[in-house]
Amino acid sequence: MLDKEKFFIEVGSYQNNKFNNIVCGDCVLLRKCIGENRNIAVLSDGLGSGVKANVLSTMTASMAMNFRVRHEPILRTVKAIMDTLPVDSVRNISYSTFTIVDVDADGEAKIVEFDNPALLLIRDKKVCSIEKDKIVVKRENASPGQDERMIKMSDLTLKKEDRLICFSDGVSQSGIGNKDMPFGWEEGINDFIEELIEKNPKISARELSMRIVKQAELNDILKPKDDTSCVVLYVREPRRLLICTGPPFSESKDKYLAELVSMYNGKKIVCGGTTSQILSRELGKEITVNIDDIAAGLPPSSHMEGIDLMTEGIITLGALVELLRKGTPADNVTGEGPAWEMLRMILDADIIDLLVGTKINVAHQDPSLPVELEIRRNVVKNIASLLEEKFMKEVRLKFI
Amino acid sequence: MLNVRICVGTYCYITGGQELAKLKKNLPEDLVNKVEIIGSACLGCHENEGSAKPPYAKVGDVMLEECTEDKLLDEIYKQLGMERK
Repeated sequence: MLDKEKFFIEVGSYQNNKFNNIVCGDCVLLRKCIGENRNIAVLSDGLGSGVKANVLSTMTASMAMNFRVRHEPILRTVKAIMDTLPVDSVRNISYSTFTIVDVDADGEAKIVEFDNPALLLIRDKKVCSIEKDKIVVKRENASPGQDERMIKMSDLTLKKEDRLICFSDGVSQSGIGNKDMPFGWEEGINDFIEELIEKNPKISARELSMRIVKQAELNDILKPKDDTSCVVLYVREPRRLLICTGPPFSESKDKYLAELVSMYNGKKIVCGGTTSQILSRELGKEITVNIDDIAAGLPPSSHMEGIDLMTEGIITLGALVELLRKGTPADNVTGEGPAWEMLRMILDADIIDLLVGTKINVAHQDPSLPVELEIRRNVVKNIASLLEEKFMKEVRLKFI
Repeated sequence: MLNVRICVGTYCYITGGQELAKLKKNLPEDLVNKVEIIGSACLGCHENEGSAKPPYAKVGDVMLEECTEDKLLDEIYKQLGMERK
């Protein structure tokens, strides 16, 4: 059993398109069911590549995801997908592969695999074998022996520091025909992963998935022969991050706010001039503004002992919302300025506590100011839902 | 050294503090080594409800309202007892 306070399931994924293709023929969907505290990841690989494969895999993945969210039996899910997929006019089959991983808060994982390379369990830094039940599913009205599909199902109880890794065949078949891997990367993947984890035992799911896909790209000498995707789930001690913004509604709570911030066990970000002043006053620590740091087009960040990042409030948070909306590939978070700095810290965290003071800044209600100067509560609400839905973070909101 | 504080809080920043902050890099030569430009997260002035006049800056102990680069330099030269060129 996983203790919810002590464990967190980090989910990370990375994708690469087949060389010269503008869309990916694989589809990765990740969802956090907030009420039930489940993480679901689906990886589907459509037949062929390009737009057609993208449509097939997207359809398969979204069906699998939605059936899974509603707890539909797996056989019904598979049959429904098979009956819905259009038949390919060239190959005369309807086909796309998928892997579904459904992990609940207790670490109970249900895994369903159909024709993707086998999912890997990494335990104690080694690739372990998983026991799998095999079931044959047939398409409705199919003649005997035709269109039969072998589904593999497994149940696992995950422990802390376990990782589940699944990838499309673009990864396992990368490098095919090369002198050192004539049949593709295949078994070499296990060694590669074990070596990476040996070197960096705490490597995040986000980084590990990226490293695997990048290596596959290298195997194909930077011209991927197929779409490559990788999803990693990592059970780890949660990394906590506090984002504190806004002065408390009542001044009598200033002391309480300062206490919450100074006692917090994790990284700390403070956004807002007034909020910073309150903390500086209550904690008796000085603020230094990095006034040279104005190149990013955002108000400069400041420094205060005990706080990892201190920024201006609503403009910086607005810029952060924009960055979160755009979504960023794992290897492209190199921007400069306070908003990027915040984004990097957020991506590294699992549990994000938003501590929001609700006092309205009267000065900001001036009608001559730009409309982008939104009300703090709305901005924070946007950030919270983006972090939960798009980045699979656990977000806790506290208004003060 | 004369301390010059420039507010880069939200309200001051969007009403001109952004430009004032650049003064640190474009300081006239005769002022180099005589003044220190420091940022401030908030000088606490917007609490004057309805009558705030940002951006604010503080030269020594003198608070400047609706500050511009011109006003700021005037005050600095005045306090240093120097002639502005």
